Amino acid sequence: MTDIQTQTKPELLAPAGNLEKLKFAIHYGADAVYIGGKQFGLRSKAGNFSYEDMKEGIAFARKYGAKVYVAANIIAHNENLAGAKDYFKKLYEVGIDAVIVADPALIAACKEAAPDLEIHISTQASIANWRTVEFWKNEGIPRVVLAREVSLEEIKEMKEKVDIELEAFIHGAMCISYSGRCVLSNHMTARDANRGGCAQSCRWKYDLFEDGTDGSENISEQSDESYTMSSQDLSMVEHMPDLLAAGVDSLKIEGRMKSIHYVATVVNVYRKIIDTYFEDPDHFEIDPEWVDEIWKAAQRSLTTAFYYNEPTEKDQLFGKPARIPKYDFAGLVLDYDEATQIATIQQRNSFGVGDEVEFFGPNFYHFKQTIEEIWDENGEPIDRAKHAMMITKVKVDQPLKYYDMMRKRK
Amino acid sequence: MGSPYQPELIATARDMNEVQKLIDVGVDAITIGHQNYGLRVTGDFSIEEIKAATTYCHQHGVKVYILTNAIFHNDILETIPTYLKELESVKVDGIICGDPSIFMIVSSYDIHIPIIWNPETLATNYETLNYWHQKGISRAILSNELAIDAIKEINEQVSFPVDIQVHGMTCIFQSKRKLVENYYRHIDKSYDRQQVMHITQGKEEDTHYPIFEDVNGTHIMSDADLCMIDHLPLLLDAKIHGLRINGILKSTDYHVEITQLYKEAIDTYLEDPTQFELKKAGFKQRIYNIQPEDRKLGTGFYFKEQIY
Repeated sequence: MTDIQTQTKPELLAPAGNLEKLKFAIHYGADAVYIGGKQFGLRSKAGNFSYEDMKEGIAFARKYGAKVYVAANIIAHNENLAGAKDYFKKLYEVGIDAVIVADPALIAACKEAAPDLEIHISTQASIANWRTVEFWKNEGIPRVVLAREVSLEEIKEMKEKVDIELEAFIHGAMCISYSGRCVLSNHMTARDANRGGCAQSCRWKYDLFEDGTDGSENISEQSDESYTMSSQDLSMVEHMPDLLAAGVDSLKIEGRMKSIHYVATVVNVYRKIIDTYFEDPDHFEIDPEWVDEIWKAAQRSLTTAFYYNEPTEKDQLFGKPARIPKYDFAGLVLDYDEATQIATIQQRNSFGVGDEVEFFGPNFYHFKQTIEEIWDENGEPIDRAKHAMMITKVKVDQPLKYYDMMRKRK
Repeated sequence: MGSPYQPELIATARDMNEVQKLIDVGVDAITIGHQNYGLRVTGDFSIEEIKAATTYCHQHGVKVYILTNAIFHNDILETIPTYLKELESVKVDGIICGDPSIFMIVSSYDIHIPIIWNPETLATNYETLNYWHQKGISRAILSNELAIDAIKEINEQVSFPVDIQVHGMTCIFQSKRKLVENYYRHIDKSYDRQQVMHITQGKEEDTHYPIFEDVNGTHIMSDADLCMIDHLPLLLDAKIHGLRINGILKSTDYHVEITQLYKEAIDTYLEDPTQFELKKAGFKQRIYNIQPEDRKLGTGFYFKEQIY
């Protein structure tokens, strides 16, 4: 058994699709973020970072003692190999802390071009047993990201048998296949899933047929429900002690394509849970507020996936979509004047006088209020902040700080 | 001078009967296995059956490769060393693997069987395969989502044999979850794992993706059966070592006849390319004659570009 009293706090690892998201993720409590560069990543549609952005992101992270990893986790084809060595060399030079790689071709390129750049093996490699973990350890790899198909029991055994850092997903969307072992998108749309082109074909609607000697019978027609293979999203918000006891070293949140509001909210909750737990593990209890808060960022129903049992139909998105209240990121707090109790807020989504809003910030700081007065940049009172990114002044009930956020129910 | 190029024609086998028939039509090697260790075996062979099949094959100069390419979880690690030891003792010609744990297992237990690398979708470039070669593989099966130029380039850039699939359906999806069973439970209908099934893509009714479950989870197969018989010269000129035929979800009669046709086509081309040109439409026609109505024939990604 892992002795939790002597255990060091695991890393909270958050996605950062662009520089702004990186800053929010770290400010809200992530110990590390993972980003994509312009090459070799699996999110061709995410913002992705130029080397200049990376430098700025790294400088920001250093102030918080946080780390920055780059996902370079495509399954490369011959023509993708060119430039890999230069890329890893450059990442090392700009100060990236580690790269997340799935394809051994890129591992080899990285080891050769940037021997001191740390390599983590991506979940795309479907690492699901301790001997494979041991293999990567022998290859000089300090950390592996586990397949989403492993249980907490299996993780425990891996940790007992191999001295290596284990990283596991705790929150976010999931492949329903073994990651990397699905080419539905390639076959149905000619878009290569393993090089960033995934069309999410698993979430489409299909008809299922039973084939017999007299032809095929459409089973889906007999039900309201098409055959689908869409997973609910992972959330371990109510089960963190079990993950910590299993010995996971890095707790990973999915979602480089997700919004700032999502990243800040989810990071804020898990930061709070981890810190609360380590303050007094023996008396740790789940606060329902943390769970409520997670739902404010949720986009789908939530599941614990493979951690306890093999998922069933209850862990898939069948039936009508769950009614999950949706929230908008309405404004970013830039400044606050204690004397006047007026906050300077940059508009991110339309808000106006009379709106019920919620302010929140790092360390799980929260309060709700009704907006009573808004002024524009010139000090003129206005009813609504309609223009994107406009600077407003808002009278608030409690103190705020730069980077605090204002959300509003849709 | 090396020996003249002679490709290896490799076919899956579901049972001893199929093994014998495939040998009768001239197959060079067979792949068999058990779903506890291998992916998408066409029929389960117990260790005794593997021994019998291997003895029989070796008497006929045919090689035997064992499918042990499942994505292993911790529990498998307890039984696989014994399994591999038994395979070694009957002198199978190779194990088909796709989980890096295999390198630790064979070294820890001092097992010596040639490893044929088959991580399905992950064998897409020559540097990757060269990496695994350094770890101990002696051969590799390329991913099916590769164009002919990429296959040729890989074959030129590695020093060991590579295999490609030339006929039959290919796997396009594997989940550990029991997705079909889950669906039946959701719609409250009784489920029979033996029932043959397929799915169609909502708006495209003429699609036909076979789907099935086994101990490794849910597998979805390609819409069309690969059929490269009329393009064999491309593959043979490139001196690809292994040409694989997958007989999954096909009858023994079909599978054996297809194997016989490929054997004849390969021999024809290697003996006299002009004869092959004259006969190739006939070969294709003979496949059409036995092709199930609901299964299209295609060339997969051999001539298809992908975007990303």
